[in-house]
Amino acid sequence: MQFPILSLMTFIPLLGMLVILALPKDKPNLVRWTSVIFTGVPLLLGVWLYRHFDASNASVQFVERASWIKAFNIEYYMGIDGLSIPMVLLTVLLSFLCVFASWGIEKGVKGYYAMFLFLESGMMGVFCALDFFLFFLFWEVMLLPMYFLIGIWGGKDKVYAAIKFFLYTLAGSVLMLLAMLAMYYYSEPHTFDLLALAENHKQFLDKTVTLFGATYALDKILWLGLFIGFAIKVPIWPFHTWLPWAHVEAPTAVSVILAGVLLKMGTYGLLRMNYPIFPEATQWASTALMILGVINIIYGALCAMAQKDLKKLVAYSSVSHMGYVIMGMASFTTAGVNGAVMQMFNHGTSTAMMFLLVGVAYDRVHHRWIVKPDGSKGFGGIAAVAPVYTGMMAIALFASLGLPGLSGFISEALVFLGTFSNPKYQSYVVIGSIGILLGAAYLLWMFMRVFLGPLNEEHKDMTDMNWRERLTLLPLCVLVIVLGVYPMPVLNLMGPTIAKLLAALGVA
Amino acid sequence: MLMSLKAFLPELTLVGFLSALFLLDGFVPKLRENRFPLVWVMVSCLGAALATKAASNLTGPFFNGMVLSNGLSTFFRYFFFFSCGATAYLTLSSKEIDSRGRSEFSILLLCLTFGLSLMALSNHFLMLYIGIETVSIISFVLAGFSRESLRSNEASFKYLVYGAVSSGLMIFGISLIYGYTGTLAYPQIAEALVKNNGAHPYVFYLALFLVYAGFAYKISSFPFHFWTPDVYEGAPTPVATFFSVGPKAAGFGALLHFILTALSQKDGNGQWTMIPGIQLAPILAVLSATTMVVGNLSAIAQTNVKRILAFSSIAHVGYVLMGFVVMTPAAFSSIIFYLIVYCAMNLGAFWVVGIVTDLQGNDDVSSFRGLGWNMPFLGVCMAIFLFSLTGIPLFSGFIGKFLLFGALIQVPGYLWLALLGVLNSVVSLYYYMKILKAMWLERPEGEVKALRLPLTQIVGLLGLAVPTIVLGLFFSPVLELAQKWVAQ
Repeated sequence: MQFPILSLMTFIPLLGMLVILALPKDKPNLVRWTSVIFTGVPLLLGVWLYRHFDASNASVQFVERASWIKAFNIEYYMGIDGLSIPMVLLTVLLSFLCVFASWGIEKGVKGYYAMFLFLESGMMGVFCALDFFLFFLFWEVMLLPMYFLIGIWGGKDKVYAAIKFFLYTLAGSVLMLLAMLAMYYYSEPHTFDLLALAENHKQFLDKTVTLFGATYALDKILWLGLFIGFAIKVPIWPFHTWLPWAHVEAPTAVSVILAGVLLKMGTYGLLRMNYPIFPEATQWASTALMILGVINIIYGALCAMAQKDLKKLVAYSSVSHMGYVIMGMASFTTAGVNGAVMQMFNHGTSTAMMFLLVGVAYDRVHHRWIVKPDGSKGFGGIAAVAPVYTGMMAIALFASLGLPGLSGFISEALVFLGTFSNPKYQSYVVIGSIGILLGAAYLLWMFMRVFLGPLNEEHKDMTDMNWRERLTLLPLCVLVIVLGVYPMPVLNLMGPTIAKLLAALGVA
Repeated sequence: MLMSLKAFLPELTLVGFLSALFLLDGFVPKLRENRFPLVWVMVSCLGAALATKAASNLTGPFFNGMVLSNGLSTFFRYFFFFSCGATAYLTLSSKEIDSRGRSEFSILLLCLTFGLSLMALSNHFLMLYIGIETVSIISFVLAGFSRESLRSNEASFKYLVYGAVSSGLMIFGISLIYGYTGTLAYPQIAEALVKNNGAHPYVFYLALFLVYAGFAYKISSFPFHFWTPDVYEGAPTPVATFFSVGPKAAGFGALLHFILTALSQKDGNGQWTMIPGIQLAPILAVLSATTMVVGNLSAIAQTNVKRILAFSSIAHVGYVLMGFVVMTPAAFSSIIFYLIVYCAMNLGAFWVVGIVTDLQGNDDVSSFRGLGWNMPFLGVCMAIFLFSLTGIPLFSGFIGKFLLFGALIQVPGYLWLALLGVLNSVVSLYYYMKILKAMWLERPEGEVKALRLPLTQIVGLLGLAVPTIVLGLFFSPVLELAQKWVAQ
């Protein structure tokens, strides 16, 4: 019996939730430090995992497998490969940092941290599960804490944002449920094992289903069912309308988790299921994916440019940046897919920084206006009063827009490189690269209006970041710079797995 | 005859206890002042359940083929006795049923349960009709149990009018079937239908639809569901609780027996096939679809929690009917499983509503405001029941849907129904969340009323919430039991 490290990483936060619920109500600091412990241990285990992960091995590692429900051949099947380990590491890191970012929550501290730890368990489970049923369980269970975190501790329109998020995601996941059931019953022998399904992917070919009187190819219908479920999470245009609401209304730490981890579950799901289990349907849909990716890039950037609310701008920039991931995935090239997964990780760190920084400003001045709705000046010139804050924001922002030397550049360059090397998609690269320009435009314009220029007298008493906030951001800052200069630690992790995935797709 | 009596032991036990309570109440009127009658109900249900266990291996028709005992009968007996006992338990601390009416309530509840058993076991149209009428007449009285409440009187009257119409339609349908086949016993009907070899006159389908009217009224399926919200809203909460579980399951039980014995044949592999010429699946599919759509869409606009739960119960009937579309043993065992989990989560949800009604004096969504913060245990339990009703994984309601959709998706041609079903569960999230939103996301207006729950209530709610979660994670034993009952 191998050391069950993945189970520990998944369920230690859940244990933490129970411990927190048992703690007395009137000791918020005790609750906070308990959360630090119960997110810190998974982080340490994550470091151990990183050290012991065999990067040259393309197959799943740290496997834990036990029969769970015999009647349906459902297994408790956990394991990680090069695709999931970056996401696992991102999850434990961001969760740990978010505990500190939530230090200022005063209302219902116990409930907040309990829900937060529950959420971490769900996220870990999604990235580790290799049985579809188990995956689906974690995928859905995450919605519950998320609903309450947004709905109770969120901003002004929290109730609307929470239910919108819940309804959208549930709509996607019920389609996934049907696809899951169909995959189970159409596979021989019936199984939920994702790797076995990928292995025998040919069995889904040449079968048809009837829906509303018309006949469709089975694999394409299933592909679409899964795709819509994941596309809502990414979110891919036109399923993105929940995102600005949820991201803006959620408390800072939850926005970080939403943008940093939850969005990646969509693209992770596509790479874990749609790609290996339905390679033919993926080929069939690749041009559509590419087009959707380009739309995401341009549309997200244009929306971001129009925002007056700083947090909304960051939220729409996520839509734009997830477009690069879709583009890289759809390129079907080694460089493109590597870039896509790299971008998943890098966007996780840079957007987390952005949201944390927006939260820092909001905690001090209680608004987020770049320009107030009545047209008067919102922020302005705060570089004069908060130099450290400005510096941090500059790093996050340049990483986000892809300045060479910072992490975003590497992944975006890889995505474009890969896409351009596929002759089918060269023109898309041209359009997509406009997104880089737009990205630079909205981010720099925002930077100019918020940080530079004469100081808005309203904010002359604004204090700079305190040590807690600085230390929260520091690890992300280091990651952004280090991976910008030397991206190999992450690229090495996922290389062999992606090569195997592409080989199964019949390219590269 | 002795065999028949033996096989009828559970019902006889129930009737015995019922008569004893009747006499006791007459001779010792003091007993009604405490909770003795309700405890008596629980004891009788326990006794009947034990008798069920003793009688469970006696299968086959008895009382000259009037009643049929098989695995399904065993399941439905357990189901009725459990839900009756649970209803008595939750009535212990209800303010709506007070000392003035406890005896009557208990006696009527036991009578009703007896009727439910008759319904689900019937193997003959006459028996079915007697069962349905027993249940209906007692239900009319129970719905109007709060005599001073105008709403309750209205509920009773509405129930009566709808009941009269639908049983009239049903008996007309039965007479047509009698005219066509010359018999009222299910097995003989099947024989007569087989002889016709697929050529059935249209009037036979009309007859089937009319008979369905009776079932549809009991399970509250479209288009005979209109009474449901008014009755649930008007009736005392414990009564509505039982209505949402017991008579519904009895309707399903009777429908199952009718379809399986009168309209289909069992082949050597234990698979049921419809008698040639009978095509029910498309009609049932449409009924299932309309029932869940109507139930869910009507629930969206409601502001009264009991009405929301009433429409939600209609939607759940739609889900269960999906299982009838597919005539496989897997589908039948999923129906049974669904009924079990539905019983737990629906009883739980209604129970919470009852507690809140007693506390706040009304059952609008607004009276739930902020309750989660003041009474966290109640709030968490309600969240569990509502998430389970929505069908979110981790809770047993999801497994129920998982099994039903799984059974449906194996049959080609009904993907549309499955698609409609899952989208419906998304719609249902919206109105369930209205209640949870009020409980957790909103703050109460004015003074905060909170109540320390008595231990009985905590134990009872836990007794429903824990299975709701446990069956969501480990459901194999219950599913195997369901499969055993279906196979018997």
